[in-house]
Amino acid sequence: MATLQSEAPPTTARTPNARIVKRKRSAAQRLRHDWPLLVLALPVIVQLALFFYWPSAWNIIAFMDYSPHRPFWENPFVGFAWFERLFNDPYFVPALLNTLKFAAAHLLFLFPLSVVLALVMHSVVSTKVRSTFQSIVYLPYFFSWVLVVTVFVQVLGADGLVSNWLMSLGGDRLTFTSNPDTFLVLAWMQWAWKDAGWGMIIFLAALASINPSLYEAAAVDGANRWRRMWHITLPGIRPVIILLLILQIGGILSVGFEQYQLQRNAIGYQATEVLDTYVYYRSVIGTEGASFGTAAGLFKGAIGLVLILAANKVAHRLGEQGIYQKS
Amino acid sequence: MTAVDIKPKPRRQSNRPMWDEEPSLVGKSVKALFLIAYAGAILVPLWAIVATSFASEDALSRAGGNLLLIPTDLSLAAYTEIFSGGALTDSLLLTIILTTGGTAFSMVLTVCGAYALSRTGSLLHRPILMLVLFTFLFGPGMYPSFLVVQKLGLFNDYLSLILPVALSAFNLIVLRAFFMNTIPGELLDAARIDGAGEFRILLTIVLPMSKAILAVVALFYAVGYWNIYFSAVLYTPGLETQPIQVVLQRMLMSTQGLPEGASATAQYQDQGEAAPTAALKMAVVVCTVIPIVIMYPFIQKHFTKAVITGAIKG
Repeated sequence: MATLQSEAPPTTARTPNARIVKRKRSAAQRLRHDWPLLVLALPVIVQLALFFYWPSAWNIIAFMDYSPHRPFWENPFVGFAWFERLFNDPYFVPALLNTLKFAAAHLLFLFPLSVVLALVMHSVVSTKVRSTFQSIVYLPYFFSWVLVVTVFVQVLGADGLVSNWLMSLGGDRLTFTSNPDTFLVLAWMQWAWKDAGWGMIIFLAALASINPSLYEAAAVDGANRWRRMWHITLPGIRPVIILLLILQIGGILSVGFEQYQLQRNAIGYQATEVLDTYVYYRSVIGTEGASFGTAAGLFKGAIGLVLILAANKVAHRLGEQGIYQKS
Repeated sequence: MTAVDIKPKPRRQSNRPMWDEEPSLVGKSVKALFLIAYAGAILVPLWAIVATSFASEDALSRAGGNLLLIPTDLSLAAYTEIFSGGALTDSLLLTIILTTGGTAFSMVLTVCGAYALSRTGSLLHRPILMLVLFTFLFGPGMYPSFLVVQKLGLFNDYLSLILPVALSAFNLIVLRAFFMNTIPGELLDAARIDGAGEFRILLTIVLPMSKAILAVVALFYAVGYWNIYFSAVLYTPGLETQPIQVVLQRMLMSTQGLPEGASATAQYQDQGEAAPTAALKMAVVVCTVIPIVIMYPFIQKHFTKAVITGAIKG
């Protein structure tokens, strides 16, 4: 994340001579000197080449009529035909809208919730209470989606804990975990359960980095609790908020796969279809071919790339650091 | 007696700084209620799952549902079934092997890469770093990744659950930041002057000084491998023994959300197996949670220190 910033100032302070010596050397001399580092970097380069850059290059088939049954170069280029087909596909636009809906809901709901959780936790003075609650809230972040969905079905499902309790009081069973109309609410609850702790930890770390003497000075000057929060706390965590916002905006079309795929059978595909599940069901195991699925994925990747660069640019304009700096 | 009376009441011990006013009772109780409700919403379901996994069939059917809060006549039947050497045992073993093997491989990759990239100004340092950083901005997409796994002959091969996800650029960058900011450069320079090569410096100086963060990074990888689900759905759908998350998902699906008219147990009757009982399902859930809960205190202890300082402060 923010580490990308560490690129900006080259840490020459550590090896004061490195720069001076470096300039005098030819490439061959540097190779003789630096080859162990290249050897160490090699596994990473190979891994990225095989599983990041090679698949990235395969995106070219989004512009071809690709068939695995003929040599690669005999596949004709078809321009944007697959993208046209994608936008005319009756299932694509709903999937895209769903994706945007879940991304927006995540941003508008989980983000403030994480900040609120962090602020509440930060205001708890007892370190014992604080660390206990922190551990509890953060724990589900490490659970798999399979587990989270299982827990929700067991607790809120038609045969679940809450249903049984309601039944014993003479009420009805819940249809919560199989109702497409309330799926957004269910997703909210799942995010709050699983992911809020992660956001909270990040914001808590940001809060901890605020100099406490600022609060003291403000309190001495007569600022009450709320004014201290408004004038010290929130400005203090602004860079982190903006950083996370940029990342969220960049990932706006990547809402994940598992949460939606796991609940697809129970809720129905209309409410749960997002871009990733769309590619999987329509193309990977569906009737559409490789070019179609690749086009859908490339659409997502390209929009993500543009959005993250744009959001970063806006952040720079606003005087924030963003995720990387021009170096 | 009088002496006791004269003694001043000891001040209540509090970490609240002098200048901070004591919050109102209402504010305090709202805060307490919020935190207790949040923690309860997380802990109660987990407790119910553990309780149910130890419940006998009778107790469950008397309760008439999926979950119990208070287990009566405890039974270990579910756990004996899991560890009795059947498909579930295989799946757990597979997941353990994947997790340990994958984590070891990922760590070698990440440590070597992070150390190589921590030496700014070395040959090709910037281009290689750019290769890593670009992965934050773009995703190659599901279908091309799937195609490449097929081209490499890894489809329906357990290696496809490790190799494509073996490197987390985020972990690499965090570790690199740690190497650059925390390990004193003078130490490395001294070793270099004494004639130590890069490999030796990495093994004998850098690694021993980074134990805590290495453990955290390893645990992050381990949790990732332990939770593998999507890769298995995509890359190894044809294999008989599946990672535990996939097995758990199948058990869940067997009783939930089937289309109208389909028998809940049809999937299992086809294979001549009984539908999993609630206790068995919950016992599997417990087995998938336990390793995480065991690793968790450690992650938590070092997380803020290691990752946040590495990532946020850069």
